[in-house]
Amino acid sequence: MIAVVVDRTWRFFCSVRAALYEIIFLAVLILIGTLKGSVIPAQIPRFVPALEPLVARWYAFDVFHSLIWTMTLTLLAVAITICTINRVPGIWHAIAQPTVVTNRQFFRMAEPAVVERSPDPPDAVAQDLVAILRARRYRVLTEQRGSDIHVYADKNRWGNLGTFPFHLALILLLAGGIVGSELGFRETMFTVAEGATRNVGRGTNLRLELERFVDSYSQIGTPTEYRSDVILYDGDQEVQRASLTVNNPLTYKGVTFYQASYGQAAQIEVKEATGNVAFAAAVPFDYVSRSNGDAPAGMVDLPAQGRRLELFFPNLKLDAKPEIGTIKLQSGELYAQARDARTNAKIGEGAVIAQGDAARLGGLDVQFVRERRFTVLQVAYNPGIPILFSAAALLVIGLAITFYFPHRRMRALVSAAGGESEVVLAPLAKRDWGAKRDFVRTLTAIEARFGPATLWGRSSHAGD
Amino acid sequence: MPATDLLRLSYYGFTAASVAVVAAAAFYFMDVLWLARSPKLAVAAGPLETWRAYATPPTASGRLASTTVGIATLFAGLAVALRALATGRGPYSDMYEFSVAFVFVALLGYFLLERSYGIRPIGTIALPVILGMVAYVWSLPPSVREDRGLIPALSNKVIMTAHVSSAVIAYAAFALSFAAAVLYLVVTRWPRSWLPSAELLDEVSFRAVTIGFPAQLMLLILGSLWAHMAWGGYWSWDPKETAALFTWIVYGGYLHARTLRGWRGTRSAVYLTVAFLAVVFTYFGNYWFGGLHAYSGM
Repeated sequence: MIAVVVDRTWRFFCSVRAALYEIIFLAVLILIGTLKGSVIPAQIPRFVPALEPLVARWYAFDVFHSLIWTMTLTLLAVAITICTINRVPGIWHAIAQPTVVTNRQFFRMAEPAVVERSPDPPDAVAQDLVAILRARRYRVLTEQRGSDIHVYADKNRWGNLGTFPFHLALILLLAGGIVGSELGFRETMFTVAEGATRNVGRGTNLRLELERFVDSYSQIGTPTEYRSDVILYDGDQEVQRASLTVNNPLTYKGVTFYQASYGQAAQIEVKEATGNVAFAAAVPFDYVSRSNGDAPAGMVDLPAQGRRLELFFPNLKLDAKPEIGTIKLQSGELYAQARDARTNAKIGEGAVIAQGDAARLGGLDVQFVRERRFTVLQVAYNPGIPILFSAAALLVIGLAITFYFPHRRMRALVSAAGGESEVVLAPLAKRDWGAKRDFVRTLTAIEARFGPATLWGRSSHAGD
Repeated sequence: MPATDLLRLSYYGFTAASVAVVAAAAFYFMDVLWLARSPKLAVAAGPLETWRAYATPPTASGRLASTTVGIATLFAGLAVALRALATGRGPYSDMYEFSVAFVFVALLGYFLLERSYGIRPIGTIALPVILGMVAYVWSLPPSVREDRGLIPALSNKVIMTAHVSSAVIAYAAFALSFAAAVLYLVVTRWPRSWLPSAELLDEVSFRAVTIGFPAQLMLLILGSLWAHMAWGGYWSWDPKETAALFTWIVYGGYLHARTLRGWRGTRSAVYLTVAFLAVVFTYFGNYWFGGLHAYSGM
């Protein structure tokens, strides 16, 4: 019983038909996920309003992180493994021990089967044929049966192996993806203000300091470069200085820092009434105002003082400036509001602070020292990368072998016929035009020795 | 020579190529009409002879068509080369550069295909496809002909050139396989002695896919290598990425069906004709997708 189930399962996975269905199903899933990113689904309810709920579910469905996606990939991985293992004996047989002996039925079915005649004895004819084929880089195997000499010739037999690196690579791609997501990390919003230093964390001992952020523009205003000048520390040790631009990341001990985005920051100094400095650093404005999504906002937490400061810059968009409308905020100014650190309740009124000025908020002196920038980096550590790019190389190698070194095979039968020798030749190229053309090209060399060939079974009497 | 002059020369080159493509498309059409009216030109053939001389019979209009394709290829190549010289990078900053390069590679691919197989009627299908791309280029606003420089994300010249070249090669190869597949469907329903054999067309469409499929793979690999180097994520499930993956898998399905299940003939041809929709969908994807490739739209 169990044997039957195992056998059935094995056969299911081996079947090319099942593989095709799996490939098509995977393609459909990818199409569903791809179209989600387009305007196409949104158009559907305009024509068929009843489908609106379905379209809404479509937009809500994250195919590439769904259970069905994982299951399909798992199924494919299993199928690829089993299919590939299953093909080993057949491919190995074709490479190492091809069947040399043939019969006339083969030539009757083959196209084009041709015949050559020679007054020389079969031995000599076979010898010449073998020499011609070997000169054209064929491996030639012969076997004598009675007075008949069977010839098998092939070229690029190792090309059959191309399928193995290719399919192994597909499995490696999945493995690399899993290794990367399980053992690696990727932080997409690693924000550091100019002059500030930030811990990378995640089990590393790294700290990154941003010295300066520079953005340059062309004459017509398109951005040409975003650059972060950074210093990397491992523990307390400075290990690297680098200028990060979009295509020039910094890698240290497998952790890579990429330039991603940038924004405004403010150098803020907060003093207690005693003159004691409670805070002095650049604050990245990496939030936005609740009442205006275009106004950058920053936050300073001061737990020791029981305070939190909310800071706002003017609206970035020139055509709509509600912050300026209500608070009269101008360029070079910020708006600050003190809140209770625990309850988040407002403490007193907020204040507009110009660059270089200070204001008293919630019992603290808050100084806006100067405008600064912050950079947004991506920090990634992906141990799966070497696996992935090895897989990529294997994919390319596998395909190149399979497509550009196709296995070419032919058979010949040399026999004595009425005092002369007859050679029947045909390619193993069922419905394969390219293989047939190669055969006809090789035939030209054979004809140079034996004279023009004729189609077997037409102008010859070789048919039995 | 100043860059603006080179850009203008490149533009003239493309103009000349466009005229040649229009002419070539017309000549191929004339050639087919001519062949259709002159059955005596048919290849005389026993089966073995058809293997030796499978080429379509040479006609004056056919030779004219082939020469015109050669001229178009030359001018399109000049347009790409001069623009690369002026901008100092490959043709990848926007849809104008990309499409001009596509026209060049499709012409070159077709030219080589015709040479190596000696069959002309595929041009009747392939040239209109290329002509469609030429028309698309002319439909773009004239401002795209200037060099608009590169946004920071695109400034990795080596990988970008290779990435986009792979795309151009893949799409051109798929376009040729489409042309051969369509002609296959014509030939099997309307067999004429002067048309290439169905088996040969099947082979040509398959050969084109064996160029396109690895090129599409290179496109995906180089794209993710570049994303890895620029953004730290080799794959973002961006719609254009997944559309390219979709195309690759669709052609992967074809290769399995053909090599392992022996799909030949009509089924293969219909599959390839439909599969080309995936290519068109990916090519113009940035018009209806947002995401990381959005900037390459107009």
